[in-house]
Formats: sequence, structure tokens, C-alpha cells
Amino acid sequence: MIPSTTRTTLAAASIRPSTHHSCRCYTSCLPLIKRKIYDRPLFRLLHTARESLKDDTPFRKALKDAAKKDKKEKREHLNRPSNPAKLRGPHVDNWELTVGIEIHAELNTVQKLFSGAATSVNQAPNTHVALFDMAFPGSQPHFQTQTLIPALRAALALNCDIQYRSSFDRKHYFYQDQPTGYQITQYYEPFARDGYITLYPHDFPPGSAHPNEPVTIGIKQVQMEQDTAKTIQQPPSTHLLDFNRVSHPLIEIITLPQIHDPTTAAVCVRKIQAILKAVNAATAGMELGGLRADVNVSIRPRDKQLTDYQHSYSGVTGLGQRTEIKNLASLKAVEDAIIAERDRQIELLEGGGVVEGETRGWTLGNKSTKRLRGKEGEIDYRYMPDPDIPPIFVDPELVDHLRSTLPRLSDESVHILTNGNQYNLTPKDASTLLALDDGERLDYYYDVVERLRARFAAEPAMEARIGKSAGNWVLMELGGLVRNEEWSSTRVPSEQLASIISHVLRKTITGRTAKTLLSMKYDGDERPVDQIIADENMLVRPLSDREYEELAKGLLEEKADMVRDIVEKNQFKKVKWFVGQMMARSAEGTVEPDKAEEVLRTLLPLPREN
Amino acid sequence: MSRLQHATRQLDNIFKHASLRAVVSTADRTSLLSAVESADNVSRLSEIDCRSLHGRIILVKDNICTTQLPTTAASGILKNFTSPYDATVVKLLQDAGALIAGKTNMDEFGMGSHNIHSYHGPTTMGRIGVEERSAGGSSGGSAVAVATDQCWTALGTDTGGSVRLPAAYTGTFGFKPSYGLLSRWGVIAYANSLDTVGILGNDVDSIEATFDILNVYDSKDPTSLNLSTRSRLSPRKISSSSLRIGIPLDYNISTLSSTVREAWKHSLQRLQERGHSLHTVRLPATQHALSAYYVLAPAEASSNLARYDGVRYGSRAKGVDGTPESVLYAKTRGEGFGSEVQRRILLGAFSLSAQAIDNYFIQAQQVRRLVQQDFNRVFQTPNVLVDGSTHSENEGVDVLLCPTAPTLAPQLSEVENQDPIQAYMNDVFTVPASLAGLPAISVPVDIAEKDRQPKLKAEDVRENAGMQIIGQYGDDKLVLDVARELTEATRS
Repeated sequence: MIPSTTRTTLAAASIRPSTHHSCRCYTSCLPLIKRKIYDRPLFRLLHTARESLKDDTPFRKALKDAAKKDKKEKREHLNRPSNPAKLRGPHVDNWELTVGIEIHAELNTVQKLFSGAATSVNQAPNTHVALFDMAFPGSQPHFQTQTLIPALRAALALNCDIQYRSSFDRKHYFYQDQPTGYQITQYYEPFARDGYITLYPHDFPPGSAHPNEPVTIGIKQVQMEQDTAKTIQQPPSTHLLDFNRVSHPLIEIITLPQIHDPTTAAVCVRKIQAILKAVNAATAGMELGGLRADVNVSIRPRDKQLTDYQHSYSGVTGLGQRTEIKNLASLKAVEDAIIAERDRQIELLEGGGVVEGETRGWTLGNKSTKRLRGKEGEIDYRYMPDPDIPPIFVDPELVDHLRSTLPRLSDESVHILTNGNQYNLTPKDASTLLALDDGERLDYYYDVVERLRARFAAEPAMEARIGKSAGNWVLMELGGLVRNEEWSSTRVPSEQLASIISHVLRKTITGRTAKTLLSMKYDGDERPVDQIIADENMLVRPLSDREYEELAKGLLEEKADMVRDIVEKNQFKKVKWFVGQMMARSAEGTVEPDKAEEVLRTLLPLPREN
Repeated sequence: MSRLQHATRQLDNIFKHASLRAVVSTADRTSLLSAVESADNVSRLSEIDCRSLHGRIILVKDNICTTQLPTTAASGILKNFTSPYDATVVKLLQDAGALIAGKTNMDEFGMGSHNIHSYHGPTTMGRIGVEERSAGGSSGGSAVAVATDQCWTALGTDTGGSVRLPAAYTGTFGFKPSYGLLSRWGVIAYANSLDTVGILGNDVDSIEATFDILNVYDSKDPTSLNLSTRSRLSPRKISSSSLRIGIPLDYNISTLSSTVREAWKHSLQRLQERGHSLHTVRLPATQHALSAYYVLAPAEASSNLARYDGVRYGSRAKGVDGTPESVLYAKTRGEGFGSEVQRRILLGAFSLSAQAIDNYFIQAQQVRRLVQQDFNRVFQTPNVLVDGSTHSENEGVDVLLCPTAPTLAPQLSEVENQDPIQAYMNDVFTVPASLAGLPAISVPVDIAEKDRQPKLKAEDVRENAGMQIIGQYGDDKLVLDVARELTEATRS
């Protein structure tokens, strides 16, 4: 547990403009707050994804800045107690926040959940619609078995128990985007239960109030369900309906109310999103509307003596009345909405009021959540088992197979990248690599490392340096070039970067030359690296023995006074100055300091050991 | 007589009996007759099976989708609807050479017992000029069409008795096969877990010939019985000369009319005379079956009918519908649905609501399970759908014989102002087999001479009561055979 003072300060900090770094790391590593979330239901165009791809430099800068700020804040905190009441208004310290999250993610499938129609993202409206998708009279659902596979992968990655038997229910509500008048979901018998997700310190944005120990959040269940149609509003009164999205398979992930901090909630959503991508269960994140979250928020006094808090949700007891905030479409919205709702509830309770069980909405940029409907307006979904859809039975062998072939998850990746001698990256670099370009940068990095290992197969001594060096080049040097452009792993093919790095490691080109080479490749020079080096005569050419001697002689004559200091006053350290001068006066990389010193000592002459 | 002669007469009858409102839309007469003629030519050349459907005139209930004719389900909300696809059963009939001559009237979406809740107006049974009796519902149009020789056979749908009850009232045969044998793809859902396509005809042979064509697995219907389970169903016919016939004592209720009770006794006696043995059995859950049915069916109906909003198809209310705060079709649904449909939607919405589901929907499902267990206990053959099915205590029965309805067809004037509960009571004998998904057929049995109405007797109109034969799941062929046996026994 984090000391509450730190937590509250930092939690409150995230709503202050001066502490935007903790948010900026989201924006730089995940393209979020630039999205206009209110556009989300209307357009889900793939190409918008690219515009927001960021290079790593601002991210790394953010990391550094945030780390600095973190230190500074800690210092200030020690020196003078801050004035939380002034910063936060309500007495945040006195209350414990409890949050549960429901995440809806579009599954990566070829077919819809209950018809043979293909799934689609931005095809012409109403071109992928089967009879049942339109709820034609007499049509029936056909569960597409293969949609289970990504759902199972997701549930396994979230450490859930896969249920041998699960079934589908109808959740009724009227809306024009819901052709049957009900959504088919898994209410009574979900396909996965009792999972968990672990948040490690490296999952938290730098500068945020991250806990020192890993935080585990229970997953109550994961269920499959269908998406609705898209409504495109054409003011003042036209609603256009596109049924392509109807019955696109979704999974809903429900966490236990075990989150007590707004940042942790955002980190949890972000991590679930990353896991879904890592196991290829979902393709699009929040930025494309492929994932959205509802949060339920309650507070209770830290002083547990009070007995007014007897609500129980998903088996967690002693909680305050909760409210639900629906349809949050970005990580920032998740965090900000929770903060705003927490503060609203504190203000309400401290003012002698009562929290109503209600559904609220949140618009990015707003200071407060907005009431959508109260308990009396709550929809009774009249859940009913779907009589047309037989239950699903999942063969345990299939589960075992999927478990054994599950792609590597990010926690495991960070562990491998930072521990042992394999890659030798810092946790900071490792999580940066993982967060960039939907994991493409990490794949590229692995590729470069593999190619370097092949080149140095006969030199085990070099192996230890490969991982770190490749990390530096992929993140810093190449990252610096990519900066504001779209990432593409083919722009500088991994083999070519490996070639550049191997020349650097073998000292056959200078660091400066290597950077030049990288820029040339990045800007489209199609010649292989080795050919550019040959064509442009870029190889380091060491001085001959004679050239060393001539260079040294000239210097010693030029600085006769210093020679005297060395020879007569035994100021041997001044030899190093001459070494430095020899290096400075020759082309980069052509003078080896050891060799230069040897030549100088021979000429002076001096014994070896002084 | 050639099939062309039959067809011509039946098509003439459709026209002649238009006032009964049995048929609500018809195909083009000329092209139908030319199709029959070519079928006739084929049959003359190759002497085809008399059971063949080639050139047969078949009418289809208006809740079964057809591309050639509108499909309204007798509802205002679908009054102008034509389906973009054919139901599997329609395709199968056409592929077998049958001709779909028209669509038959019904209670809206299958909800009703007297065929009075129709957008097209009520179907009536008029055997003599002045008579206006209930045709039964909801497949009343199909029953009257068969009774008045407007077709060879007609398709209906049976959710809680909607094929058997009108058959009993109109003196025709009405067969509800085991649930899952006939495809529901293209059959407009009333209550999916109960809806069964049924067949009405003037004899068992025509019904069986039609059933044989339709009794195939359909991958489009997720509730269609799969091939491996089908292969486990015994193709049981009457094997021994002596059947064990069950008399369910719980069906001998106080409201059973004496005429029907007489006919029941008469049927049992005649079967006994032919060497079959009679055995009384108890089906104690029967008394709760009707209430369970009227919880479950409306619950599913309220869900199934949620799609009718006039947005994608169907009719919409005139003028602006919906406010920014509400859905865009409150008015449309209010105008499009008839009163009985609205009543059942509300009933279903209530029994599924959070405060009522435990006491209504869940309880009703439990009763449904008890009803199934009752049947499994009395039948000799185990139910193939139940693992380790409880076998009958001693020797079980082959089939059950009981009345289809407590009374003969009531006067229309009587039922039009009836309390809805009274109408629901007519389904008391048909609902149990529906809840258990069992095959059942209603067979017309002549009533006793003393019970006949003088007016009808004077016109020489046969009067009969419907007797229901219920078999174990999958014993459809046995049920049809026993129907044949009962017909012979009571007519000889």
C-alpha cells in the first residue's frame, strides 16, 4: 500500500495542469487524448490510427521529466507539508475510493458472432449483413464456433477458469441500433470466470503514484456478446443506420471492485488492452473505438467504524453506494471521470447528502460527471436464456492447446528484456519498446538482435553488448529519426540496421559515420550499408606506425615546456594530454589511445610503468 | 381422378369459400394449374407414387416465410411484408413438386385459440349456412381450408396446440411432430422453444406423405435435431397387434364436456375391441402445465416480438414517432400489434422482469421439467434426449389417448366477448405435449348419435370430437400409425 499522503497528493496532482506529465506519457505512448471521443460511434476509420503514432523521444523525455518531477515533489513533500485541502477541495484523504471496471473489446474474428457474414471495419455501409443481423422474421442465430478462439485466448491471458459449459442470454432494451430488440450476451453462464490481472510498477506511468509492490485485481468473469449497429446522426433529425457492425463479436471483461486509485484504473484498462493485443484477441484499441470501458465508483470513509456502508458488489462487502459511468473511450477519460466522480461523491457526503445509485456520463474535458438516469429510470433488461442457441461445451484439450500456444505477454517480455544477460535493457527502455507502435517496435528490436547474434555467433564476448546496443539504436537513434513520422519496420530493414551496429561494435566505422549511414538509409538510400561504406570510403583507416610517430614527434616539439614537465618534474599525467591531442588532431577513430601512449613513451623516452 | 382435377376443384373452393377467410393471399391460378398439368403428364408417363407431392396443392400458414406471397403473420405491423427468403419447409415442399397455392389465416403471430385475432379478420367455420363456429386457433385458416377441401394438406404451426385445436374443432387431422424434427428456419417465432411446424389434412396418409418430405435435418435451424440423434430414433410403427394405450386420468377434468367424454370412452372401447390393452396413468404435473405455458410462451413472445419496430421492414405509424427521449417506435408498435399480442407482450415482459422472474419464469421452467418427467415415466420407450432416462416403473405405455379440447367448437359469438383466460383454457390438453416437445395428433372421432345437433344432422354434416394421440419423443411414425388405427376402429 502506498502511504495515503503520497497517494492523495499524486492522485490530486493529476488534475492539476502543472502535473500534466503523468498524462502525457499516455498520449505519447498510446494515441489517446487527441481522439475526439464523441466522434467515436460515428467513425471508426483505420487511417486515423496512423496520424497519432508517436516516436519514442518525447516519451523518453517525458520519462525523464516525470522522474525529475517525482523526485522534486518528494523533496517538497518532506520539506513542507502541502495543503491538500486547497488543491483538492474535498477531503480526499478521509475517503477510500473503490472502483470496478467493465471493458468491452471487439474480438479479432473473420465472422460475426451469430451469422456467417464477415466482420468489417470501414466497408461501405450495410454490405456485410445476414438475414439474422437484420432480425428478419423467421431467421435464426448461428453461433460461429471459431469466434471462441480469440475469446478463449483473452480469458486465458487474464488467468481465468474456462467454463466447460456456457450459454447465451438475451438482454432486452429498445434502441434502433439493436435490430432484434435484445443483445445476445452471457449473463447466467459466462464462458470464463475468476481470473486476475497483475499490475507491476513498470506498468504505471512515470511520475504517477505507483505502488511498490505488484497490485492484483480480480476478474469476475469474461463473457461473449454481440455489438450493435452504428448510428450516424445527420442533424437535425436523421439517423442513418449501418448494420455492418451488428453481431460483431465482443468480449466483456468485468473486474472486481478492487481498485482504489484512478491511475490504477487507467493502468488496468491500458494493460488489459495491451494483453488483448498481445494474444491477438482484439485488434483495435480505444483509439479506434475497438475497446470501451464502464466504471463503477463508490467511496467509503477510511474510518471503518461507520456502519452506513453495507453495499456489496460481486462479493466485495462494506462498500458505499456506487454509481456507474458509462462508455469511457480513452484512458484519460477513465482516470478523469473516476477523479471527478470521487470528488463529487465526497463533496456530496461531506455536505450531508446521499449518493444515489445511478448511471452517469462523462465527456472529456468536463469537470464533472453528468447524471444520465437514476435508479427509477434503470433499465430492467429482462435477461432470458436464448431458446435458439444451444449451450457451448469447450473441450479441455482445446483449452490446454490454446494455453500452451499463447503468445508471450508483456509482463513476461519485460522480464526477459531486463533480467539475465539476454538483452540487458533497463526497465524503462523495455517498457518503452513494448508500448511503441502496437508492439511492432519490439518485434523489430528482436529482429535486429537476432541478426546481430548471427553476425557475432563466433564471438561470445560480444553477445552481452548486442542487446543494449540494439536497444539504443532502435529507440534513440532510429527513434530520433522517426520522431513525427509513421513507424515502418521496412524503412530501415532490420538487417541493414544490424549491419550498421555490427560495424560500430567492431569499430570499423565511427559513431558519427554510423549515424550518417542510418540517416541515409532512413531517407531512402537503397544501396546496402556495406556498399555505401565502400562507395563513400567510410571505413575507419588506422594510422600506420610511421604516421603515429610523425604525429607524436610534431606535438612533442610544439610543446617543449610540457615535455620538460614530464621528463624533469615527473608529471607523467601530462602524457595523457598528448594522447588526447593526437586523437583530436586525426580523423575520428584512426588513433587508438593505447597505441598513441606507447608511441609517446618510446619517443620521450619514458619507462612503461609511470 | 388426376391431380389436375383435384387441383382445379381445390382452387375453385378457395374462391368459393372466400367468405370463411381461411386464405389470405393466393398464387396465380393459371400458372398453378399449368404446373399441375405438367406434373400430371410426368405421373402418367412414369406412374409415380401416390404418396408423391408432385402437383399437390398445399396451403401454408401466414407466419411461414415465402418469397412469392406476402408473409403477414396476420399482424398489422407486417401487413405489407414480403420475406426476402423462403422458409426451409416451403423450399422442401416446392422441391418435392408441391404447389404453394396461398397463405392461410391465423391468430396474430400464433397467439389465440379461435382465430379471431387476425389483421385479416376472423376465420370462421360454417358447415351450414347459418353456422358461425370457432375454427380454433391459431392455425384456424389451415384447418378450415383442409375441412372445406381448399387444398390437399396445409402447414400450420403449433406452439401450445395451434394445429391440434383447430383440427379438433373442424373435424380434420392435425399433427404436431416432435420438436426439432421440422425446420423452423423461416417460421416467424412466437415462442421458439415450443414452436413446431405442423401438418393438417383430411387423412393420415396425406399428412404422413407431407411429413416425410419435411422431416430432414436443416443446418439453418440451430434447434434442428442433428443427424446422429435422428439415427437413434427408432422408426417404430405398430409392431405387435396389441398396443398398450395409456389413459391419463388427470385429463378427465370437470369441465370436460360430456359429448367429448363420450367420444373418448367410445374411442377407447373400440381400440380395446381390436385387441389393444388400456392402462390408466397419472400425469400429476398436468394441472400446472397450462399456467406454466402461459408464463413461458408470452415471455419468449415478448422477446421475439421486440424486433418489430418498422425500422428495417414492416409498417410504421403515420406521422412522427418517438421523441428525443424515447425510442423511435412506441407509436408504431402500439398501432401495429393487436390487443391479444399486446396483452401477451406485457405479460411476458412482466414475468421476465427482475421482480417477477423467480416467481414466474423460473418456476414455469421447473414445471416444464416436471411435465417432461411425467411423460418419460409413463412411456415404455426411453426419451432419446434424456441421458439415463428414468425408465417406466412397470411396463409403460406405447401412446396416450386423450381429448384434444374440452369441448366441441364453440359459437364465434360466444368466444368474441370471452375473457382471455377462458380462451386459454382450451389449450389445457394440448399444452403438455408442447412443453415436452412430444409428437401428438388430433384425430376426428364421430360423436355419439344422441349428442348430434338436429340442424347439422338434418344437413347430414358429420360431427366429431378431436381425440389426441401423444407418443414418446421421436415416436412420430407410431403416433401416425395409431391415428390410422383409431380412425379405422371408430369408423367401422
